[in-house]
Amino acid sequence: MVTHAFRISVLAVAVASTAIAGASTIVVESPALRTGETVPREYTPDGRNLSPPLTWEDLPEGTKELAVVCADFGAGNPPPWVHWILYGIPGNSVGLPAGLPIEPSVPMPAGLEGAIQGHNGWGISLYRGPAPPPGKAHIYHFTVYALDQKLGLGPGLDREELLEAMDGHILGQGEIVPTYERY
Amino acid sequence: MRRLPEKDVAVVGLGAAGGVAVLPLAEAGLQVVGLEAGTRLTARDFSPDEIRNNVRAWPFASQKANREIPTVRATSRHPTSRGSTHPMMNGVGGTSLHYWAQSWRLNPWDFKTVSETTRRYGARRIPDGSTVEDWPFGYDELEPWYDKVEWEVGISGQAGNVAGSIHPTGNRFEGPRKRDYPMKALRWNGFLEHMADAARGLGWNPFPGPAAINSEPYQGRSGCRYHGFCDRGGCHVDAKNSTAVTTIPRAEQTGNLEIITRAVATAIEVGGEGRASGVRFIQDGEEYFQPAKSVLLASYTYENVRLLLLSKSRLFPNGLANNHSQVGRHYLSHHQHAPVSALFPFDMHAWYGLPAQGVAIDDWADDNFDHGGLDFVGGGNLWVMSDRKPIQAANMSTFGRVPSWGSAWKAYVKNNADRFHYTYIQRTTLPYESNRLDLDPTSRDPYGLPVIRVTAQFKDNEKAISDFVQDRMVEWYRAAGAVEVQKGGEPNAMPVSTHAYGGTRMGDNPETNVVDRWGFSHEVPNLGVLGASVMGTSGAHNPTLTAQALAWRTADRLAESWSAIAG
Amino acid sequence: MAEQRPKGISRRDLLRTASVAGAAAAVGQTGSAAQEPGTASARAATYEHLTAEEAELLEAIADHLIPADDNGPGALDAGAVHYIDRSLGGAQSGSRDDYHSGLAAFDRYCRVTRNARFVDLEHTDQISALLDMQTGGASGARVGFLGSSAALFSMLRAHVLHGTFGDPYYGGNRDFIGWKLLGYPGPRVSVTTVDQRRLEAGELEAEYQSAYDWDSFVRSEDAEDA
Repeated sequence: MVTHAFRISVLAVAVASTAIAGASTIVVESPALRTGETVPREYTPDGRNLSPPLTWEDLPEGTKELAVVCADFGAGNPPPWVHWILYGIPGNSVGLPAGLPIEPSVPMPAGLEGAIQGHNGWGISLYRGPAPPPGKAHIYHFTVYALDQKLGLGPGLDREELLEAMDGHILGQGEIVPTYERY
Repeated sequence: MRRLPEKDVAVVGLGAAGGVAVLPLAEAGLQVVGLEAGTRLTARDFSPDEIRNNVRAWPFASQKANREIPTVRATSRHPTSRGSTHPMMNGVGGTSLHYWAQSWRLNPWDFKTVSETTRRYGARRIPDGSTVEDWPFGYDELEPWYDKVEWEVGISGQAGNVAGSIHPTGNRFEGPRKRDYPMKALRWNGFLEHMADAARGLGWNPFPGPAAINSEPYQGRSGCRYHGFCDRGGCHVDAKNSTAVTTIPRAEQTGNLEIITRAVATAIEVGGEGRASGVRFIQDGEEYFQPAKSVLLASYTYENVRLLLLSKSRLFPNGLANNHSQVGRHYLSHHQHAPVSALFPFDMHAWYGLPAQGVAIDDWADDNFDHGGLDFVGGGNLWVMSDRKPIQAANMSTFGRVPSWGSAWKAYVKNNADRFHYTYIQRTTLPYESNRLDLDPTSRDPYGLPVIRVTAQFKDNEKAISDFVQDRMVEWYRAAGAVEVQKGGEPNAMPVSTHAYGGTRMGDNPETNVVDRWGFSHEVPNLGVLGASVMGTSGAHNPTLTAQALAWRTADRLAESWSAIAG
Repeated sequence: MAEQRPKGISRRDLLRTASVAGAAAAVGQTGSAAQEPGTASARAATYEHLTAEEAELLEAIADHLIPADDNGPGALDAGAVHYIDRSLGGAQSGSRDDYHSGLAAFDRYCRVTRNARFVDLEHTDQISALLDMQTGGASGARVGFLGSSAALFSMLRAHVLHGTFGDPYYGGNRDFIGWKLLGYPGPRVSVTTVDQRRLEAGELEAEYQSAYDWDSFVRSEDAEDA
């Protein structure tokens, strides 16, 4: 099963770099996360379950808006299980600070005005970190999408609806792919 | 085991079906005993209390049904699961004490699904794997008993077809009836008028639904008070026409009906010649045998099947009346799935209503529309009711707009508590080879007896009906101004239901049916079965009136042919 | 907003006591145990089946589920926890173990993952912990939840709703707080066509009472006959 998940991960990276002809690869980094390494506990329900910080660079020219999805392709029926989905992120932003709001009444921090958290797999509009069944490491794709226009999306979209809305508008994407295991 | 004095007829279960059967039998002078697992309840027990009625499921009533909840699985390849409450209840009057009391006739098409489908669309339209048969008689045969129950029990409604003459304020699609209902339909309110207008705007034919509830004083009982606790609530003014306040007391007044309460039937005994000889039951820990010249089984679909399967003997090693292995077969249930919910931008003023108060659309039911380009047979009834209680309102869907708790949730519910509506699609459901009831191999009741195992799944035909009819409901909501509409899915397995059919199907062929066209077992001539377990198709409407009409007909047959049947 | 407040009283407590008329508690005040809301000894005196710690935790949870806010009083004011406590002595006695083990597991979860008991966490961390209970994420932390923590959350939410919006005979919906929030005009035994028209015109006055304020109904509360 671990092999299966790894194969999907490789596939996803391959897709990220070649999916759209001429699409550029965004460099996605994080002071807290690293591809292939364990997510620190504070970004999981084994800790405070804050949303992790992300940064992005090398946005394609003409980026007007960004979206972020955190998905586990080794879970869900059918996969993936979505942990986090944001869209409407201003195109001139450079990343997300840790601990974005988990209450509807709390606004997004400065620089992220207008960003909306959509419905994750639990149907709630916030980040919930890795909570895999014990005994096997899962792989979490934090994917950043750069879009060629502001999509003007309303609240409450899930991943399928977001992908449909972004179709044809993705200038480039990039991801960071940490892991997590519970014991 | 104590042996009681012999009776002419032992009726097992005094619910909707057993409760009507006792009247013609008692009036015919037969000595009848009703064995009821529950107790007697009265209007003083029926408080307007959502916690007691809906949250705690009648803790003051006998909980026998809750001790024998069936297990459920979609197919034999799936594991079983088991719910925590049974939707039915025990008592003198049974679930007719608190049911929604919607009281419909089936459509003539439901009696002849095979021949009518073949005629109109071709035999290949009958879904693969279905064991559906035409009923052994048509609507016209049952019409006199529909009429009888409607007048004897008291059904309120608006006729749509009186002897072929169409009344457009009623259901234009219904089978012809001899005469009108004894009482006009329950009233509508502003919201229901609005929904009826929206339906007319779509070119549909809205009409008020029929109910076993007095719309005006009837037989000395009050008319409905619309107080809002009818959903799983007993009626505090006896306006809901349970058999406890209608046919059972009249039967008792003849002096020919004895009722034994707290009687849990455990088996039907059989004599040497293969005839039923009586019923074994337990009351307060003591075992009794009630001998009878004939037995009518009326304990609801699951328990009817269970008692037969548990009543093994040398002559019936696989269960009573089961030498053709048909007991438990052709099982189906048909409702409370494929829901649609909506949010309106105005208050509905629905706090004082009841589930039987509503607007019906049969344009998409049965074979009332051309299925020429479609891939299913049958259809669904659309039902818009006006009913709302506080805890239920607080549990409203938030359409994904706010979380399910906290200040945002509270504000949403405060603004929208009286603006939320939901419907379920009640649809034609057919029997299938793989959908059946049997005894669970491991789960048992407190007496150590196995409970029923339901192996049943909604098939492609029924799912196609749901998809189609749900879309019609969405259309109706939108036409009425709903600002949010949400379609729900349905489970893979058919859950334990208040609308459960089959298991002791009625038909002329003893190879594929348990009871004959009069409701008596092909194998055990003095054993009759009452209730929806004899029905071979569900139709797109509630079963109770049909079950009651069939029960009355079986009882009349027993009384008229007494010496032939009872020997 | 910086606040000095005694350990064990959340910010919500302060908001609540500020908004409920007649409340005596304030920062720094002490009074007799029976009169000061929010103290462990006052709680122990009030509840029969929940321990003082359990009640304190359950009150804090209920306060998040249905808070007191600009839209009026919430579950705590409605006595939802009193409703639950009473029900654990009767109809819901089968849930006693679920409450004892579930609340203990949740508090342990908060200590293990966020280094404090629930009632001592910052407001946002309390919400996050509740979300982890709700989604089932807390279950995998191995703190003693029987099955999924989501089942515990469902039960707590359901019982808090019953205790806020159910008939006050059972100990909740104090001062008809829940019914007033929903705009439910109160139980009646008869609603005529004229009543319905007046309701639709916004002219029907609410009449608040318990179903059992009428003499006509038998009051068996618990499943004695089950």
